[in-house]
Amino acid sequence: MLSLTHVTKVFGSVIGVNDVTVELGSGAHGLLGPNGAGKTTLLGLITGQLRPTMGQVRVFGERPFANPRVLRRIGFCPAADLLERRATPREWVRYLVRLSGFGRDAAAERADRELDRVGLGEAMDRPLSTLSKGLRQRAKLAGAMAHDPDLLVLDEPFDGLDPVARHDLVGLVRHWTVSVDAVGGRPRTLIVASHLLHEVEALHAGLAVILGGRLVASGTAGEIRDMVDAMPSEVRIRCDAPRRLAEAVCATPGAESVRFEGEDLLVVATRRPRVLAERIAHVAVENRFAIVEVAAGDRSLEGIFGRLVRLHRGVGS
Amino acid sequence: MSVPLSGQTDVSGHTDRSGQTDEPLRYSLLGSTLAVAGFQIGRLISRQRLLLAGLGAIFPAAVMMAVRRTAAEGLDRDLAVTMIYALVPEAVCMLGLLVTMCPVVADELERGTWIHISVRPGGRRALLLGTYLAAVTWTSIVAILAAFLAVLVARVPQPLPLVGMLAALVVLSTLGRAALFALPAVILPKRALVASVAVALVVEYLAGFIPAVVNQATVSLRLRSLLVEWMGWRQKLPVEMQLLIDPQPAWVQIAAVICLAAVLLGVAAKILDFRQFPPSVEI
Repeated sequence: MLSLTHVTKVFGSVIGVNDVTVELGSGAHGLLGPNGAGKTTLLGLITGQLRPTMGQVRVFGERPFANPRVLRRIGFCPAADLLERRATPREWVRYLVRLSGFGRDAAAERADRELDRVGLGEAMDRPLSTLSKGLRQRAKLAGAMAHDPDLLVLDEPFDGLDPVARHDLVGLVRHWTVSVDAVGGRPRTLIVASHLLHEVEALHAGLAVILGGRLVASGTAGEIRDMVDAMPSEVRIRCDAPRRLAEAVCATPGAESVRFEGEDLLVVATRRPRVLAERIAHVAVENRFAIVEVAAGDRSLEGIFGRLVRLHRGVGS
Repeated sequence: MSVPLSGQTDVSGHTDRSGQTDEPLRYSLLGSTLAVAGFQIGRLISRQRLLLAGLGAIFPAAVMMAVRRTAAEGLDRDLAVTMIYALVPEAVCMLGLLVTMCPVVADELERGTWIHISVRPGGRRALLLGTYLAAVTWTSIVAILAAFLAVLVARVPQPLPLVGMLAALVVLSTLGRAALFALPAVILPKRALVASVAVALVVEYLAGFIPAVVNQATVSLRLRSLLVEWMGWRQKLPVEMQLLIDPQPAWVQIAAVICLAAVLLGVAAKILDFRQFPPSVEI
């Protein structure tokens, strides 16, 4: 469906994407990364707006850049706000569907149907300038989906939506992916770039984490957790004698490093947090240390993401 | 997973494509171009743009009225036609196209719509050609109205054939110059206006008046030659002025403008096909 082979994209002296190799099949995929990580550049390469400086991008087996055969099968909802002010959502989506190759009547029918589906039924004749950002976001989403693409690429699609709308649209997009194999026998692919991990998890998407233009991890949420588990995790211990505690835990199997933060906080990096916890309990009782708090590394996806970011930046363990 | 029957709608509301009744998805440059042209004309129909068009339409008439009042014995027909030619197919058309054609890419980038259009099959070319069509249509309508009012105010004898001739010159002027302005618009979208003014001055009004091969590729030479031909001035012109016009018949001049427009548009479309705009949010 989609493959990138050693893809690098350079803008002058700035590296947007750096030697990315990834292959994606049908189904949902999440692209995670902080601002400036290279997500939008990567999506630009996939959607044929950018040509790689090095490497090869293939979508449906073909080069997407300036290729109408590929582009007509792609739906793209960019992150940037839609500043087309005077047009109404109905006019805007009809316009986009017509640009995808549909005639006037078919475009009108598809646009109305999609706008209804994203919940803009009553607001579709109001100028875009009078709509909230959330409603404009829905109009963008409708524009991306109305021509029934095989590959839907969404860049921060739920940005600006209230929780209810977010829930609705996550459901809609998830259904779109689930309905994939039923449509004309052609599988569909969804790529969602986001920094809100719970949204990507809610889409049951495979994950790819991009940092500094590089793909640093990919797989399911579970696989990424396993990968991170293989890396040292941090245990934070707040107590009255952190230096004496450090002496004691340094000998613990799996402990890799210690550092102090402030007067009372000891941070231990270890590959075996359970062994460390037992050792801390033992030492604390034996030496009558007053342990105020023991906090293990964040096991949530947010925490894993944060750790990958810190690891990439060379901070912490 | 349940598979919807042909033509039925699944849980998410998405329809099985194999059974849908609307036309199959296909790439149509003409359809897309017309869609863009319609959308661009819709954008032009705003209070501000209509006011600007109104000013463009009455400006030549106002100038002609002022000139006629100062002329004690009324305006000479040839002088009036020359003035209207300079004001309408030259000035009004140029100004109109600077407003409508130059921002073809810059406007889309500013509105955040470029990214939506460039990801559509043939969207880039349709944007260029559709905007060209809208610019030519809009500017021609304004300029023809301006020519009509100017001729009316100048009280030139036999006004209708004159308006017809000016209308033809206006259409050729907009066809050629909109294509000329398309080039700086796609090469330097953010400096399109300045670049187009420079192109107009250097190409049309400098190179166009050099009596050498270089002026053959300018619209101004073709329009001047047509004006001289259609007004029957060829024999009246002094020898040194004859150097500034092309001796070929009218159909050659018209074909030259159309060919020039086609070549310029083709080059602009090819450049636009390969334009890349970095996602500034991320860079």
